[in-house]
Amino acid sequence: MATAIDRMRNIGISAHIDSGKTTLTERILFYCKKIHRIHEVKGKDGAGATMDYMELERERGITITSAATNVTWADHSVNIIDTPGHVDFTIEVERSLRVLDSAILVLCSVGGVQSQTITVDRQLRRYNVPFIAFINKLDRIGANPYKVRDKIAEKLGHNAVLMQVPIGLESQHQGVVDLVSMKAYYFDGDDGEVVRVEEVPAELRSEAEKRREELVDAASMFSDELMAAALDGRATEAMLYAAVRKGTIARKLMPVFMGSAYRNKGVQPLLDGVVRYLPDPSEVEATAVDLDAGGREVKLVADPAAKTVALAFKLEDGPYGQLTYVRVYQGGLHRGDEIVNTRSGQKIKVGRLVRMHADTMVDISGAVAGDIVALFGVECASGDTFAAAGLNLALSSIHVPDPVISLAVAPADNTAADRMAKALNRFTKEDPTFRSHVDPESGQTIIQGMGELHLDVYLERMKREYRAEVQTGKPQVAYREAISQRVDFDYTHKKQTGGAGQYARVIGTLEPFPKGGFEFANEVKGGRIPREFIPSCEKGFRASLRKGQVIGFPVIGVKVVLTDGQAHAVDSSDIAFQTAAQGAFRQTYPKAKPQILEPIMKVSVEGPSEFAGAVFGSISQRRGLIVSSIEDGTFARVDAEVPLSEMFGYSTILRSLTQGKAEFTMEFLRYGKVPPYVAEALIAEHQERLKKGSGK
Amino acid sequence: MVTTVQNELIARSPLRILEKSISGGLGRGNIGVLASRKGVGKTACLVHIAVDKLFQGKPVIHVSYASLVDHIQNWYEDVFKEIARLPRMKAAVEIHDEVIGRRVIMNFKQDGARTEQVLRSIEAMIVHGQFPAETVIVDGYDFAPGGPEDLAKFKDFAGRLGLEVWFSGSLRGEEPLFDEQGVPRELRAHLDGIDVLISLQHHGDHVHFNLVKDHGRLAPKDLRLRLDPTTLLIAREK
Repeated sequence: MATAIDRMRNIGISAHIDSGKTTLTERILFYCKKIHRIHEVKGKDGAGATMDYMELERERGITITSAATNVTWADHSVNIIDTPGHVDFTIEVERSLRVLDSAILVLCSVGGVQSQTITVDRQLRRYNVPFIAFINKLDRIGANPYKVRDKIAEKLGHNAVLMQVPIGLESQHQGVVDLVSMKAYYFDGDDGEVVRVEEVPAELRSEAEKRREELVDAASMFSDELMAAALDGRATEAMLYAAVRKGTIARKLMPVFMGSAYRNKGVQPLLDGVVRYLPDPSEVEATAVDLDAGGREVKLVADPAAKTVALAFKLEDGPYGQLTYVRVYQGGLHRGDEIVNTRSGQKIKVGRLVRMHADTMVDISGAVAGDIVALFGVECASGDTFAAAGLNLALSSIHVPDPVISLAVAPADNTAADRMAKALNRFTKEDPTFRSHVDPESGQTIIQGMGELHLDVYLERMKREYRAEVQTGKPQVAYREAISQRVDFDYTHKKQTGGAGQYARVIGTLEPFPKGGFEFANEVKGGRIPREFIPSCEKGFRASLRKGQVIGFPVIGVKVVLTDGQAHAVDSSDIAFQTAAQGAFRQTYPKAKPQILEPIMKVSVEGPSEFAGAVFGSISQRRGLIVSSIEDGTFARVDAEVPLSEMFGYSTILRSLTQGKAEFTMEFLRYGKVPPYVAEALIAEHQERLKKGSGK
Repeated sequence: MVTTVQNELIARSPLRILEKSISGGLGRGNIGVLASRKGVGKTACLVHIAVDKLFQGKPVIHVSYASLVDHIQNWYEDVFKEIARLPRMKAAVEIHDEVIGRRVIMNFKQDGARTEQVLRSIEAMIVHGQFPAETVIVDGYDFAPGGPEDLAKFKDFAGRLGLEVWFSGSLRGEEPLFDEQGVPRELRAHLDGIDVLISLQHHGDHVHFNLVKDHGRLAPKDLRLRLDPTTLLIAREK
C-alpha cells in the first residue's frame, strides 16, 4: 500500500568530511531495522559501512556516490540520499539536493563549522532546503555542542536552537535531555537500541530549564498560540512541535540535535526530529519548465492523481544492470505505464520498479508523487525528465560547471580499449562534470573533470569495475586565451581558381569582453554584407575561438563588432564569409595582445594553528594569494586563491607538512592571467608539441 | 607597478596632510593609535589608511580581533568604491584586483589569542608566507587586559620587523574621556608605547581629528581633517 504523502520524508545527510556522516547513516539503517549488524567506516570487519557500497569508497573511507535508501521510522517512509562529502564531487551533492525535501547537517562537536560545512550550507540555501543539525561526536575530547551552536549562528547566520542538552561530554557522554518533553534519554543494549527514558538528572535541571526557555522563546515567533500559552506557563509539547516545524520548514529556525553516532547515542531522537520537524513532499514547492510554452515555469502538485512528472537524478551500473534513480514529483509511476523522456522524445514503458536499500532492493508495483525509487532497463542520461504523454515539461536543469582539468588516457591493449570505451560512456552519463572526447589532432582520448581526485576516482573505477588497464598522461590544466586590446580588422577572402570563385570581405573590431564567453554584434549598414551571410560571419568567428594561436587553448572573452564588408553577386557564399571571418581573426588576434589565462581555485585549509606558518609557506610557494587567516584558539583556517596548475599533489604535501592534521578543500573561482615566466614556459611547450606534430 | 591613476591618487590624498603633520608619516618600527568612542569611525579611517598604502603598492596586513572576514572585506570594497567615485579616479576600478591582492586579513579571537601567538602568526605570514608587509592595521584590540607590557610586545615586534602598526583604540569610560593634554584617560598608561596618537571627536555634525602625540612630543594640534559623513573617507577640513 502506498504511503500517505504526509508520512513521506526525503532527506539528505550533508556534512564536512569526517564528521561521521556515514557512521550516522549506518546507525539510522540499523535502528530502522534495515541492516542487522553495524559496520564501521574503514571497519575492522572488512565489510565497510553499508552505504559506501563502492569498493573504492571503502578503501578511501569517503562516500562518493549518492545512494538512495528507504527506511521506516515511526510509521513514516523516509528516503535517505547519502550525499558525498568531498568538494571535488560537488555536482553529486548538488544533484542530490535537487531531489531532497530536507536535510540533516552533521557537524563535528570539536571542529564545528568547517569549510565544507559552509559550502554545504550554501548549497542547501541555493535549493532552499530546510534542515536540522546534528552535532556528532560528543564523546570526543574537546566536544562542546554549545560552542558549535554559537558557530552555526555566527558563521552561517542560522537561528539555531538547541532541542537537547548533553548528559555528560567526552568520555562521560551518556545521553541527551530532550527539551520539549524535559526527559532524559539513555541508550542501552549492545548497540544502543534500547531507549531508556528517565527524569532529568538534578545537576542538569537548571541548565535544561534555561535552554528550554530559549527554545520556547524562539519557537513562539512562529505561533501566536504558543506565545500566549508560554506567557501563562501552559505551553504544551504539541504546540512546541507545531511551532518548531513551522519555523524549520520556513528556514527561519534550525533545530539542533546532538549525540555520538559512533557510541550509539542520540540517533533515535534525531529520527523523531526528522519526522516531526521536516517537511513532507507536498510542503515543498517544485517547479518545472514548460518546453511548449517558451520555458514558462509551471508549479507541480504532489498529487498521485495528476499527470506524471519525474526526474532521473542518478544512473548506476550495478551488478543487476542499469538502474535509474527517479524522484516522482507529480502523479505516479507504475509498472506498465508509458512515459516520455522529454529531452529525447523517446517513449518508455515502465518495467521493473524497485525501492533501494544501498545494495539490496525490494520490487514494488508503483510509486506516487513525492517518492524516490529506481527503474530498471531505462535508457536516459542523468538529469532527464520523464512525463506522461502530452506533457512537455523539463525539471529545471541542474547547474553544471565546466571542467578545469584534463588528462590523456590510453588503453594498454585492445581488450582494455573496449572496456575503457564502455566505462567512459557510463561515467559521462552518470556525471555531467566528467567528460571525455578524442582529440582530433593527437587522436588521444582526453578525460576532463573538476579536480585531480575527481579524475583519480574514475581511473580507479575503470580499473576495478571494468578491469580496463589504462596509461595516463600528466594532468593538464584547462588554460584559456583572451585578448587584452581592441584591434580593427579588414580582411578580404578571394579565390579564383576555375569554377565558382569565392569572395567575401569583413570589416570591424575585435575587443576584449570582460564577461567572458563570446559576443557578436552586427552593425553592418545598407546591406553591405547581405543579411543571410551575417550568421556565416558569426560562425566563422566562433570556429576561430576553439583554438587560440598562443598555446592552442580555447579563446574566451571576445567581442566581435562587424561594421562593414563587401559581397559579390556570384562569388559570395556562406563558406566564403566563414572563411573570411576566420582569416580576419587569424590575422588580427596576434595584434590584440593575447594572454594566457589559468583556472584559479579557491582553496581553504583548516587545521591546528601551530601549522599556520607551514600552510602560509606552502601557499606562497604555489603562486597563491592568501586572502585571510582566521585563528580561533588552537584552530586555524586559511583561505587563499591558488592557480590549479600548482595544486597537483597538494594533499600529500599538506599531509606531510602538518602531520596529517590539516585538510583542504578547493573549488573553481575564476580565470586569471598567468605571470610572464609561466606564459613563456607554456608557449615553449606548445611550440615543442607543434614541432613534434603531435598537436595539443 | 604604480600607474598614473595611483600617482594622482597618492598625491591628492588627504592622508598627505596627516603625514605632513606627523613629521612625514608614522614610520617603521612605530605604533600609531586612532582613539575614539565606539561608532565614531575608527575602522573606516584605518581602512582608508590601508587602502592608501595599497595604492602605493605597499602590502598591508589587516589584523582584526572582532569582525568577521567578509565584514572587513566589505569595508575595503566600500572605501575602494568611494575612491573610484572621486573625480578623475574612474580608472581605479581597473587596478582593483591588483590593489586588493596586496592585503591579507588575519582574524583572531581576543579571548583565545595571546599577543605572542598573534605576533607569531603575523611573523609567519611575513616570513613563511613571503608577504612583504610594511604596514599592519590592528582593529578591535583591547588595550586594558594586557596593559602597557602587551603593547610593548607589539612595539618590539614592529621594530624588529620594520613595520608601522596602526591601532584603533576604543574608549569606553565616563566623560570626560580626555585629560587636559587631550590624552584619552584610558590610554594614559600606554602613552609611552604609543608614537602617534590621534583622537577622533564629534564636533557639531562632523567628526574631527586631533593630533595628541607626535613621535614623542605631546603637542595637541588640530589636524584640519574630518571624516566625510557620507563616504566615511578622511577628508580635508572645509
